[in-house]
Amino acid sequence: MLVYRHPSAPLPVLREVCAGAEEEGVPTEVVDAPGGGDAQDATALAHAAALESRLDVGIGVDASGAAAVHHAKLPEDRPPATTGPDAAPPDWRRAGRIGARVVKGLPLMEGPRP
Amino acid sequence: MRGPGPAEPAERLIVGVDIGNSTTEACLASIGPEGAVSYLGTDLTRTTGVKGTPDNTPGALTAIRGALARAGRSAGEVRTVLLNEATPVISGLAMETITETIITESTMIGHNPTTPGGEGLGVGTTRSIAELGEQEPGEPVVCVVPHGWDFDDAAATINAAVQRGVAVVAAILAGDDAVLITNRLARAVPVVDEVAAVEKVPLGMLAAVEVAAPGRTIRTLSNSYGLATVFGLDPAQTRQVSPVARALTGNRSAVVVRTPSGDVTDRRIPVGELVLRGAGKTLRVDVDAGAEAIMDVVGRAQPLDDAHGEPGTHVGGMLAQVRDTMADVMDLPGQPAVPVSEIAIRDVLAVDTFVPADVRGGLAGEVALENAVALAAMVSTSRSRMQLVADLVSEGLGAAAEIGGVEGEMAVSGALTTPGVDRPVAVLDLGGGSTDAALLTREGECTAVHVAGAGELVTKLIDSELALGDREVAESVKWFPLAKVESFFHIRHEDGTVQFFDEPLPPHVYARVVVLTPDGPAPVGTRHGLDHVRRVRREAKRRVFVVNALRALRQVAPGGNLRALEFVVLLGGSALDFEIPDMIADALAPHGIVCGTGNVLGTEGPRNAVAAGLVRTYAAGPMRAAPGPAT
Repeated sequence: MLVYRHPSAPLPVLREVCAGAEEEGVPTEVVDAPGGGDAQDATALAHAAALESRLDVGIGVDASGAAAVHHAKLPEDRPPATTGPDAAPPDWRRAGRIGARVVKGLPLMEGPRP
Repeated sequence: MRGPGPAEPAERLIVGVDIGNSTTEACLASIGPEGAVSYLGTDLTRTTGVKGTPDNTPGALTAIRGALARAGRSAGEVRTVLLNEATPVISGLAMETITETIITESTMIGHNPTTPGGEGLGVGTTRSIAELGEQEPGEPVVCVVPHGWDFDDAAATINAAVQRGVAVVAAILAGDDAVLITNRLARAVPVVDEVAAVEKVPLGMLAAVEVAAPGRTIRTLSNSYGLATVFGLDPAQTRQVSPVARALTGNRSAVVVRTPSGDVTDRRIPVGELVLRGAGKTLRVDVDAGAEAIMDVVGRAQPLDDAHGEPGTHVGGMLAQVRDTMADVMDLPGQPAVPVSEIAIRDVLAVDTFVPADVRGGLAGEVALENAVALAAMVSTSRSRMQLVADLVSEGLGAAAEIGGVEGEMAVSGALTTPGVDRPVAVLDLGGGSTDAALLTREGECTAVHVAGAGELVTKLIDSELALGDREVAESVKWFPLAKVESFFHIRHEDGTVQFFDEPLPPHVYARVVVLTPDGPAPVGTRHGLDHVRRVRREAKRRVFVVNALRALRQVAPGGNLRALEFVVLLGGSALDFEIPDMIADALAPHGIVCGTGNVLGTEGPRNAVAAGLVRTYAAGPMRAAPGPAT
């Protein structure tokens, strides 16, 4: 799974996003967004990452700390999950897990968990 | 079309109206001078109020006007409205859990976290991670990590202890980071996570932690002798821990702590007695004896005169409630209340089921499948207020209205309009609250029965067995086929066919088991796979409708012999179900019976049988003058 980050994306966000994916057993590769990422929000970064990812799934983290999960086949304006700039560490972790669960073909952890 | 004759109008416009528990149906027809019937239109609407009460009037009028509008006729042309005489039948449902699993002294963690870490078996003494620094090397240790520990810190602390020679053989975590911690350990050990109440794990006790490889289930802790080996138990103690082993069967991970008097018990809850009176006998049966024992006793007390539950128990409460509801329905303002003694429970259906329930004393939200008995009870009274409804309909429509016939007979008459059906014919009306059967013999004799248990019980079984906790979702699981969403663009139907979509499916259904409602796929909130949900759905339908079809048909069949039946026509809302008719037909096939879903008038499917039957019966009867308007 490819993670595109803005060069000034907060490190705690990236750490939790990667931890979420690791707990699900999905490998991640974090790279600086091509072109600097200044013109792109988290969703656009995530979509660009998904298009490059061999697993068709990408995560974007922008300078504000907002994160998004995306799949290469989905339209850019319809990411499966996003977190805002004011989200907390559990939300970042969840974003990583959701990305991993898209890869694994598992339900995305919203709704009831009996 | 015939022109009007000189003396008698050549055609009489009549409307048959069937007020059912959930729907009200109308059938408009004109009857020629020779009694020839031409059907002009039908309509269907929701029943207003409880069946057999004056509240039914608005619904009846809506259906009549709907049928008239479709045929382009006006209310002024109607000669007579015919209503069904219905035995008021209502039903009640209750669910009784009869087993309970209790864990004492926090001896066992038997939940299934989605991502445990490591694999294998670790046996050692439980120690909190905060005390790991003081731990002397020597005895093996199971490390307990409470909330608030970061995975990097936890892994570093454990690695440091191992470095000093402490044998950390396993870990139990509060958070959900078993994989993260395992990946950072110098020496991998089994790790169980998501143990919400980790602070209740007893410290300083011998514990075993087992995690199986992905796709496998644990082998040692789910085996009584495995537990005996790990903890050095004697035969008496082994007997005691066998419920623990059983509770852990099928898990991918588990923890068992050996405490002086810790235990897992599996106890039966006494839920009271059912007292059945019938066939000149009074018979008693414990509800916790299970459905088979209850139905055996019900069979011996057939025909049932009445049933009571032990006061102060759930069964007693439920039967009393059904009785009270019926008494309320039958109450007429300004008249003495209906004595409860006049309201008798005429049938009971018991079904074995299971309820996923939280384990008492569990540390990680463990759920055990507890046994339960579901009961449907049905009451009927001799009092009916249909005449009052007829009077009100007459007033509202400005046309005469009368009771045209008894429901069961009318249903058979209507069913005979299904192409390919002849006497002797039996109908099975698969409703919401009760399953009704009626038989018309070759000689024209008609018998009818109502048995308890129908669509609502099926919904309740699906709801509780899948732990949905949502009646609407359970209802949609009952009505619509299932599918598994396999990607954002395709689903796999329960029969294995794949369907693609142009528009992406919403994230909340991704990778889920869904029901295919007319509004699109809706997720079923369960961790179970599609096959399990499908099996629960089909079993619920079989245990209610197939069982009741056979029970009801045996009661109307001559000598209780199903081979004496020739044609069985399925009617009612549940006859529209996508699999119930097939299941009943399969069950009846060995008896040489032709069984299928009705097609009333050749066009209406399993609907409108009673309304059409009212019209047919009227047309076949002697010429009669229109009765005066009711007052």
